[in-house]
Amino acid sequence: MSQPHSRSHSVPAHQGRGWAPLQESTLRAASQEWASSSGKNAGTGWASGPGAGTVFVPERTRVSAGSRRALCLWLPTFELRLELMRSPELDSTSVALLSAGEHTRRTIWQVSERAHEHGVRPGQFVSQAVSLCPSLTLLEPDPAHYDAAVDAMLEILAEISPVLEPAGRGRVFLGTDGLDRLFGSPARQARLALRALFRIFPRPLVASTRAGMAPGKFGAWVAAAAARSGEPRIISEQELPAFLGSCPVSALPVDALVVQRLERLGVRTLDGLRRFPEPSLVAQFGEDGRNALAWATGRRIDPVRPWHRPKPIRVTMDFPNPVGLLATLHSGLDRLIERALSRPSRRGRSVTSARMGAQLEGGGSWFVEAVLKDPTSQRERIASPLRMKMEIAPPPRAVETLILEFTQFGAPSTQTGLFDRKDESGRSTAGRDMQQGEVPSTLRDAIKELKLRLGHSPLYRVVEIDPWSRIPERRHALLSFDP
Amino acid sequence: MTGHSRTPAPRLRPLGQPRSVAVRTHEHGDPTHVRLPGKPARGVEAIRERWRIDDEWWRQPISREYWVVVLDDGRHVTLYHDLLDDLWYAQRG
Repeated sequence: MSQPHSRSHSVPAHQGRGWAPLQESTLRAASQEWASSSGKNAGTGWASGPGAGTVFVPERTRVSAGSRRALCLWLPTFELRLELMRSPELDSTSVALLSAGEHTRRTIWQVSERAHEHGVRPGQFVSQAVSLCPSLTLLEPDPAHYDAAVDAMLEILAEISPVLEPAGRGRVFLGTDGLDRLFGSPARQARLALRALFRIFPRPLVASTRAGMAPGKFGAWVAAAAARSGEPRIISEQELPAFLGSCPVSALPVDALVVQRLERLGVRTLDGLRRFPEPSLVAQFGEDGRNALAWATGRRIDPVRPWHRPKPIRVTMDFPNPVGLLATLHSGLDRLIERALSRPSRRGRSVTSARMGAQLEGGGSWFVEAVLKDPTSQRERIASPLRMKMEIAPPPRAVETLILEFTQFGAPSTQTGLFDRKDESGRSTAGRDMQQGEVPSTLRDAIKELKLRLGHSPLYRVVEIDPWSRIPERRHALLSFDP
Repeated sequence: MTGHSRTPAPRLRPLGQPRSVAVRTHEHGDPTHVRLPGKPARGVEAIRERWRIDDEWWRQPISREYWVVVLDDGRHVTLYHDLLDDLWYAQRG
């Protein structure tokens, strides 16, 4: 690749004010990713289904909750670009990012332009990709690194607008209602948002960012996809219907099969879609058909809604030596769940979603996420789905640090949890068999006193790390005991 | 945004860390005398077991020759000779 990678997805120079598709596959993938993210998390993704936070607003009316005017910032193939920023020596080579390893046969997730020229495409199996491009460099995904970049981006953009709604990793919507007096014209607001990114990302990455502003999220997203890198595209209320008319149907955040069928029927643009009466689209495609028409005509305006994510409870465990044994990781997970449950910041709330991750030996990270069937504060019920996910998609390399996050919380649990025991006197506890993990109140009091005197708990417990290791110092370890 | 705990992650402290010891050896390399830290030197009465570990050549190679010896005061001690740095260590097995 003779050009810098950051330009690999730039829109051709002939692109004028009309719609010019960037890379059809990139746009399609981004729309589908967005559409699918809505199902998992209606609060943060694209509001695609009924009751998913979308409102139909007549033109020029104000939205009481959220911002009608939206600015979309989009960094196509965000994760791959971050990797190339981290390893600039790969910029001129064929690079592909692997998808998270949920299957025994790994697939390609994102590809560089050079790899694309060799015929490597997202979704291909690794064997296929390597046979097409023998010099292909495959990179393991590092979700922790990408999430940290997203967090930094949201933090910076929150200085411009408090109404922020991320949709996937490389795409974020800013509500810009009421910002004119603060920052001036919409174009100036968009440029300001792009400039803010220079504070956290290197110049080539920001230069490849697309920005679009329009009424509603769909309009803003399509404007961003049609914009040149680094040059915001601003669509006014009056321009919106005409602008949307020239957009390809692949921009619609609906099911991929709906788009395929529309294209087979010869419907390529949203203008073509508008010619169909709503009943026939609903008869063919159901709710997706109705939504597609509403977006195509500009009738449907999705406001940007302020995004709220409860502060997660995060606990980590460093291993003295990298660990590859699943049994050891399971044991570490149990310890982490106990510690996370005992955190005062949980305030008795039950857990509905947990995320387990790891920093891997030699760099990189790995994550699995589990949404619990029922809110719970019981260790085993939290550990079980995470263990299952770990069995299906184990860490690709040995683990240096194990991470657990409780990301979503439910109502305070009425169940008695491991660390929610009623205080009992030491005597009454001593009179019966202790449950595993139970701590008598006398011991708890003694630890509290020692902590007051010494500033830390001087007690430790022995935990198994790798009991069958041939190297004795790796079998057991001490973990500070602070119930 | 990801919330980070203010308290540092408790690091696991491995048990059974090797301690450096002074060892006198026979011409064939078998230990004959051992001086544990802070103790007088003791003769080796018997060698109960002996094995070798060569591991992790792909990362940070480990090459050790282990002995379980009985000292002349009756104590059983696990020793190893680190073949990479040519030093002797005692370790709880």
